[in-house]
Amino acid sequence: MTRGAAITRRVAGHLARGVVMIWVVATVSFFIIREIPGDPVQGMYESLLQKGMSPQQAERATAVLYGFLPKGTLWDQYVGYMGSLLHGDLGQSLSTPGVQVTHLIGAAASWTVLPVLAGTLLSFLLGVTMGVYAAIRRSGKLGDLLALSGSLLHGIPVYVIGLLLTAIFATLWPILPSGGPVDVDYVPGLNPGYIGSLLYHAVLPVVTYTLASYGGWILAMKSNVVAVLGDDFILAAELRGLKRGIVFRYLARNAILPLFTILALSIGMLFGGSIFIEEIFNYPGLGLLLVNSISSRDYALMGGTFLIITVGIVVANIVADLLYTVIDPRVRSGGTA
Amino acid sequence: MTVTVLPEVAGTSRATLRRNFWRGVWRVLRRKPSRMAGVGIVALFALMGAFGPLLYPANLPRDDNALYAPPSLAHPFGTDFEGTDVLALVVTGARYVLLTGLATAFITVALGTAIGLFAGFRRGRWDTALMRLTDLNLAIPGLPLLLVLSTVWKFTSPLEMGLVLGLLGWGGVARAVRSQTLSLRERGFIEAARGLGLPTRHIVGRELLPSMAPYIAMNMLIAVTGAVYAQVGLFFLGVLPFEANNWGVMLNLAVFSGGALTTPAALPYLLAPLLAILLLTLGIVLIVDAMDEIFNPRLREE
Amino acid sequence: METAPGVRIRDLTVVYNTPMGELPAVSGVDLTLTPGTITGVVGESGSGKSTLALSLLNAVQPPGRISGGSVEIDGLGDVVRLRGEELRQARGRKVGYVFQAAQNSLNPLKTIGKQLLDLGRSHDVADPRALVRDAKDLLARMGLDGARVLDSHQHELSGGMRQRVGIMLALVLNAKVVVLDEPTTALDMITQATILRIIREVHEERALTTLVITHDVGAVAEVADALAVMYGGRIVEHGPIADVLGAPAHPYTQGLIRAIPRLSGDISQARALPGRPPTLGTLPAAGCVFRERCALRMEICETVEPAPVTCGGRTVACHAAGHSLAPVKRKEYV
Repeated sequence: MTRGAAITRRVAGHLARGVVMIWVVATVSFFIIREIPGDPVQGMYESLLQKGMSPQQAERATAVLYGFLPKGTLWDQYVGYMGSLLHGDLGQSLSTPGVQVTHLIGAAASWTVLPVLAGTLLSFLLGVTMGVYAAIRRSGKLGDLLALSGSLLHGIPVYVIGLLLTAIFATLWPILPSGGPVDVDYVPGLNPGYIGSLLYHAVLPVVTYTLASYGGWILAMKSNVVAVLGDDFILAAELRGLKRGIVFRYLARNAILPLFTILALSIGMLFGGSIFIEEIFNYPGLGLLLVNSISSRDYALMGGTFLIITVGIVVANIVADLLYTVIDPRVRSGGTA
Repeated sequence: MTVTVLPEVAGTSRATLRRNFWRGVWRVLRRKPSRMAGVGIVALFALMGAFGPLLYPANLPRDDNALYAPPSLAHPFGTDFEGTDVLALVVTGARYVLLTGLATAFITVALGTAIGLFAGFRRGRWDTALMRLTDLNLAIPGLPLLLVLSTVWKFTSPLEMGLVLGLLGWGGVARAVRSQTLSLRERGFIEAARGLGLPTRHIVGRELLPSMAPYIAMNMLIAVTGAVYAQVGLFFLGVLPFEANNWGVMLNLAVFSGGALTTPAALPYLLAPLLAILLLTLGIVLIVDAMDEIFNPRLREE
Repeated sequence: METAPGVRIRDLTVVYNTPMGELPAVSGVDLTLTPGTITGVVGESGSGKSTLALSLLNAVQPPGRISGGSVEIDGLGDVVRLRGEELRQARGRKVGYVFQAAQNSLNPLKTIGKQLLDLGRSHDVADPRALVRDAKDLLARMGLDGARVLDSHQHELSGGMRQRVGIMLALVLNAKVVVLDEPTTALDMITQATILRIIREVHEERALTTLVITHDVGAVAEVADALAVMYGGRIVEHGPIADVLGAPAHPYTQGLIRAIPRLSGDISQARALPGRPPTLGTLPAAGCVFRERCALRMEICETVEPAPVTCGGRTVACHAAGHSLAPVKRKEYV
């Protein structure tokens, strides 16, 4: 098999699986919106009728909100919902009337993506470095301590880390802001005051992201390094008298390789995992959008956000796989690794 | 080689193996005192879950004169917004949290093991189909799905909650059990047993499961922690009705009603459940670390 | 042309740290490699032969360590005393080593060419282009397309090709002492023969001192000048290959040779040695290590370890065989 064909096949496989997943999630959203106690779709339709709209107008207005008509068979409604999804129409928000769900999601996405990226990359660098150290010193006290700290941080739920950090640095010893993405006093734009305030407010969320995923990286890197250290080619390199630095690069590159795919995956997963952090720090990202849509019964927004989070994960999966084909020569040539 | 091993394991030597195993456990625990502490912590929480609610009256006493009281001898972690002792809330809340954790762990492990074993044992088309399903289970964003589900399903009883969390979380165990089964198969384990004329039930029950039991047990512990975090988190987010006394409810009330993130008064109320979670995590991490050493001698330091 | 260096191993002891305490894998071994010869070391797995090979580069891996003795290499001194940079520079540059599992001795993520350049950079090779040229020459001699191989990753090469790459990397810096640990294991018969022929050719051409470790007496018989037989961490017999194979003096060597089936002969004449080779844990603490499997076992074998005695160009460590050889003197074949 040629290299290009191999990659195309893999990506096609991922795409197919991704489409299935998005379809499953969309279907779940559809049934949930339809089955919610109190039937909000029908309720909306009736309230519009009471406001004096004609049945056709009310039907259309309801369909704009939820993506499907309030009447007709289950199948018709389902087809209608999927049809509007295919056109990229996620409906309109109820809590912010007249605004497209896609617009709200677009506005929230950057508040999620930037801190998540910053936190993930920071924790990756930190965890990988410490992981190498923990592996090399694995029989010493310090290595033990590093590994234990990794297991603990890996084990502690992200909201506990976030709440503890806030309790310490915002409540007990108030040097950092406890919530919100930016001070309202500044004019949004590229001015130093606004950007400074943005960064200042981002400290706690980013540190929380970092600490929450640091444990996973250090543990994974440690076990990879230990495994590679046992590989024959490392001893062979030493027996050929390669410089320590070069042997270390051999070791590190082989150990870190599998982590790059996890990195891409974890960025995808964090779109979902950002919920707690955004709730704690009142950060207007996708997670907060999802929680707020649920408490304000804005079901079109809820379904749309859920779908976008899923799409993020599917994309991350594909990127992870492509990344692997690019950096691992064994996969690249289409051979078996 | 494998063929001669199988009969040896049966019978009296099985008892010896077991005795040696427990001796090994004891040795590993004794080597690091922190591991004993882990066992102690988890035992403490188990007792708390089992007997905690019996220590206090069904309706915890309130003290209207001591709302958000600071820590004192009478109230080691202060009181909440109604003047109820925070320590009492943590102790009585443990049962709900741990019961959910156990239910989830049981469902996760039972489902995951069954699916993984079946896929690895049957291979072929069944394997492909089940692994696709497992991939889907692993890839679906669990927490957002839980939030969305909470709009139609008020899973507030511990068992219901455990069922939902278990149904969402079996993928990892299934994948791991499958690869274990496949690797045992590769080593000629299953073929050898077949060659001896052993029935499938015996192969799975007596040969495969026991060799995977430690791994499954470890996953069960990890599943307990996962479930504890997920449900406490859900209650903290406030998407579920506050029907039971629960650590997550405490967190939610402390943060969103008590303003624990801006004023120090409600801090003890916030910190008590956090400490409980931290302590439970620590205990389980220490035990998993010990189990790792018992079951993967490769990791043992020289 | 430079003359080949000699190698003298004296009283070398290597111990492994185990739950049962420190156990010797190699105990009190004396072995001299005559300059310009190929010495074969044969033994069953667990006899300590690989540990002995690693000792030549002071590279015994933990939990093992060299606890006593010396390994003198001409122009290098006592390798056991080398540390840090000195040791690193000796490895590869002065002593070439072909790894036991040479199939896995390459970095899977880099092309052979890049690994060659890493080797050059590590040993301060002034002219990388000349290094590449030498490598291509060596590969061509071994029947490979040098340019293509240097452009390949490990997974694109067959087992035999990787083995030859391993040999190339051990020779390309012009090391005068070469250690080959199981160079033909896991290869098919034709490739084995090719590799052995190449070893012999390059050895003669470059005036090397070569040590070949193997469990395959047949393979070593084709290339070696001298043969040392290891058992339980000791060298039980050592001498010119024709003598050792033609008239084995030690009962273990005799058993080893009897165990080889011959294509031309009757298969039923091949007889396996009874019993199992000892492991670190089952090695007797006193007396002869081979006595459990020995047909010539005597009373003295229970308590006294036989000292190596040399007679007629041959060293043997056996109470039964040694007495007939006399004079009793702790010395070895040189």
